[in-house]
Amino acid sequence: MVKVKYVARPKLSNMERIFFIDFIHGLKTTFKNLLRKTITTRYPYEKLTPPKRFRGTHAHRVKDGKEPPSFVVLEKFMEIHEGESRCVACYMCQQACPIPSLFRIEAEQLPNGKKRVTRFDMNLLNCLYCGLCVDACPVDCIIMTDEFENASDKRADCVIHMDDMCERGVSFDRRRYNEPDRIWIDDKAREKLWGQIKWTYTQ
Amino acid sequence: MKELILISIGIGIKSLIFIIGMFLLAAYLTLIERKFAGHVQQRPGPLHVGFHGLLQPIADALKVLTKEDIVPNFVDKYLFYLASLMAFVPAIMILAVIPFGEPINIFGYEIKPYISDVNVGLILALAFGSISIYGVIFAGWASNSKYPMIGGLRKAAVLIGYEVALGFALVGPIMLAGTFSLREIVEAQQGFFGAFIWYQPLAFIVFLFSILAETGRTPFDVQEAEAELVAGYNTEYSGMKFGLFPLAEWYIATFVLSAIAVILFFGGWNGPHIFGPISPYIWFLAKLFLVFMFLLWVHWTLPRYRVDQITEIAWKVMLPLTFINIFITAIIVIIKG
Ligand code: SF4
Ligand code: SF4
Repeated sequence: MVKVKYVARPKLSNMERIFFIDFIHGLKTTFKNLLRKTITTRYPYEKLTPPKRFRGTHAHRVKDGKEPPSFVVLEKFMEIHEGESRCVACYMCQQACPIPSLFRIEAEQLPNGKKRVTRFDMNLLNCLYCGLCVDACPVDCIIMTDEFENASDKRADCVIHMDDMCERGVSFDRRRYNEPDRIWIDDKAREKLWGQIKWTYTQ
Repeated sequence: MKELILISIGIGIKSLIFIIGMFLLAAYLTLIERKFAGHVQQRPGPLHVGFHGLLQPIADALKVLTKEDIVPNFVDKYLFYLASLMAFVPAIMILAVIPFGEPINIFGYEIKPYISDVNVGLILALAFGSISIYGVIFAGWASNSKYPMIGGLRKAAVLIGYEVALGFALVGPIMLAGTFSLREIVEAQQGFFGAFIWYQPLAFIVFLFSILAETGRTPFDVQEAEAELVAGYNTEYSGMKFGLFPLAEWYIATFVLSAIAVILFFGGWNGPHIFGPISPYIWFLAKLFLVFMFLLWVHWTLPRYRVDQITEIAWKVMLPLTFINIFITAIIVIIKG
């Protein structure tokens, strides 16, 4: 059931009506804002670091010893060396994606019976950066990084491949793997904008 | 004959100066407005072209002048072209009757800082103001498209109501001054308490609302209500033809109507002579700037009224107010003789 809350329109007294009290309140507010400092960033010259959870350009984590247990189970069927993408070509990301056709994932079977991923392309022009692929990945391979400047004047540049995704993943993990996972970089900035969070229970 | 030629040359030069000056001024008024709007919303506005965006208006002008001018296939071509001129030319013609100060003597020549001082200046200004409405209506009609049509009709409805209120609001100061000439109206207001705003507060409020409505600024900007009408009556325009509409309506019209407000209610160029011989101009421009900034302030503060509410205010509130004002003024004028 959707609950509807009716709010009565505030009644204006005659004083307020005749002397435009509301207008004056509004004018006061805008004048106060006029004197405040601007809150913008001078973008091309000054760039913000997005929070760790930011949903930017996709990347692949590589096999580096920090894999979840599920990867250890699957690893024996795969031909993956240290420092290579941990993708096991399970197609879960493509299944979860609202636009599956933006993925091109291919894998082959090697003579020794193991599986090797030969292709992992994503056409980011079609991506809506929802992050469902990240949630779906069973081996914590596909992630989204804090890189957001992926505009280009050629369509071909907007398709990302396994090798550059691995590079991006390595660089992202090097920079931010140990950072606590939180929406705001620091609590002070958050509190300034949104006020203090009041939890109703303690963990 | 020789005298006539000299006078026409003089007026020609003066008009040219006024028109070019107005263009430059309007360009920089856009910068002022953008800066003001930015800071009201806690962003800095234009910042990178020149020092704090000082060259931005020039860049914008170059951009809008060199843009491709697209004329849609099914428009009424003649009216379509005419409309942008109809909106722009009358707005700038009001400048002809606005005095910016007293005549001064430089090198033995008498320089008059106004183009003409006709004895029906105020009526002329009103008439030009009404002609520019045709531009808007033509633009809406000639575009052959629904949004401009609705925008043009809304503007017409708003303007008809407020033109009437505006006309009657002006009657009060005219009765007090006993003349239509803008220069003589200024001369009738001497001293700080001679300004007509103290005697005509009702007329001033109506006049303020009318300026906002005439120039399509919030709370009366229904004709270009971006959220509903794309851009209102100028949706189908592009290039400089598009640029002329906001230039005429938001800047030039606002500027000249503020000038008229200063002349009628704030004593024009009267003020203490503290800046030497140029003090009248400084006073006039300072008052003008303050009125203009106040209009901007209102624009960037208030939300927009509904169409029916706007016309309702015009006919049911503003018009009766002006009648009351005229009545009271008439009684006072009769009593004081
Ligand atoms: S972010 Fe969303 S749209 Fe983009 S690839 Fe992942 S699941 Fe698909
Ligand atoms: S879900 Fe993860 S492991 Fe599976 S194909 Fe996608 S990236 Fe590779």
